[in-house]
Amino acid sequence: MTPAWSLDVFAALMLVVAAVSAARLVLARPWRRGSVVADTDIAHPLMAIAMAGTLAPGLTTLPAVAWEIIFAMMTAWFAERVAGDARANRGRALAGGHCVPHLAHSAAMLYTFLALVPFVAGVSPGMAGMGGFAPAMPVLRYPTLAFIFALILIGYSVWDLDHLSGTPRGYTLAPAGAPGVREVLLSPSTTVGCRVVMGVSMALMLLVMI
Amino acid sequence: MYSKAFSQMIGGTAAGNPGVIARPITWNANLVEQHAVLLNTVFATIQLLIGLGIAFRPTVRVALAGSIAWAASVWWFGEGLGGVLSGAASPFNGAPGAVIIYALLAVLLWPADRVARAPFTAARAVGARVARALWLVLWLSLAYFAMTPANRAPQALNGLITAMETGEPGWLIALDNGAASLVRGQGLAASVLLAVALVVIAAGVYLRPPADKITLVLAVVVAAVIWVFGEALGGILTGVGTDPNSGPLLALLALAYWPLRTTVPAEGEAA
Repeated sequence: MTPAWSLDVFAALMLVVAAVSAARLVLARPWRRGSVVADTDIAHPLMAIAMAGTLAPGLTTLPAVAWEIIFAMMTAWFAERVAGDARANRGRALAGGHCVPHLAHSAAMLYTFLALVPFVAGVSPGMAGMGGFAPAMPVLRYPTLAFIFALILIGYSVWDLDHLSGTPRGYTLAPAGAPGVREVLLSPSTTVGCRVVMGVSMALMLLVMI
Repeated sequence: MYSKAFSQMIGGTAAGNPGVIARPITWNANLVEQHAVLLNTVFATIQLLIGLGIAFRPTVRVALAGSIAWAASVWWFGEGLGGVLSGAASPFNGAPGAVIIYALLAVLLWPADRVARAPFTAARAVGARVARALWLVLWLSLAYFAMTPANRAPQALNGLITAMETGEPGWLIALDNGAASLVRGQGLAASVLLAVALVVIAAGVYLRPPADKITLVLAVVVAAVIWVFGEALGGILTGVGTDPNSGPLLALLALAYWPLRTTVPAEGEAA
């Protein structure tokens, strides 16, 4: 079993990602006419909050069925975006598009909530929380799917990290000069950084729950 | 990883090894048993950082160097040198130790173009001759392990496959049952067949096109067979697996030897 505190660390990391993503959303000023709010900016805080609740039961915000509806809608949305990209760019949408990793993340979260089994078989509720181990750590049905999702998430995280670290086609960092907090938060690299942290954490979460 | 079974698994790899190899393994197993949470967390963090470091270009060299050092220490202290000296090594159980293949890959895929117009990616850092020699040694060693007395016994392969079924999902158990019944009592024939395939693969990188590509495809197929039937995907789907085992690494290694399109043999590097 995995120690509860190690899952708490990842839950805290998710809260940081949620805070950063929420700050991006606020800085983009969606209430103003002409402001551009990306669907990914909305997806990130939702995913991060849902993951924090899965990793640390104390941080649960919504019932599982609510998250299932949210992630089903999100998966359908990004699937439609990917299909649109694929029609416009043929196969390149799958390799380099921004929506595919979000589709993978959304689908992985949907699977997680649909496949959750409340507690590990053989661990009685009375044992929960003993010795600093995760109380009633949920496990997943269809572990093969969890493994496949984990591989896909790790693959996209590696892809993102590679592009983030300076290829000619890499993501642009904050504007030249001395960027302020606003510029750093709004830079594409921050989005990608959050996506990498979430992808790695989500993959670990899936593997731990197999 | 956080249960006592992990330290017991490490301690078990000492069996059959010479004393000088076995004593540090036993010491490590005791240490892990006494500080399971702390050490497992340290191990997991190191491996996570190595993985992220390899994916992040500015840190790729540091991470690869760390990967080599980490792999060498795990190979000894965690895997008992993959059973190479104890006679327990089999291509179907991860010989010569899955972790040492990480080290080999780190050396071969070191980001340095020392060889102009390398014929394949694995030759970029060390040159085609050295890369081919390393390939030959690895796959010939697998062929040797396939033919050891323990592995060519009539029920050896059958027993190895069925032993991996505990906790696996139904579809994998069904696949493994099919494979196990196929090799029941056929240990020698299966070992000979596997050894022949491994020798062909070993020689493949010295062949001319398209034979070289065919043997590399064969290598990927053999790696997949080993991974699915012998290693049960490294036991990952049981929730107690500690690594994916050697199958995916052998396939990745084969991809690193795939001939590059603009192949012009460098001076002195011709096959």
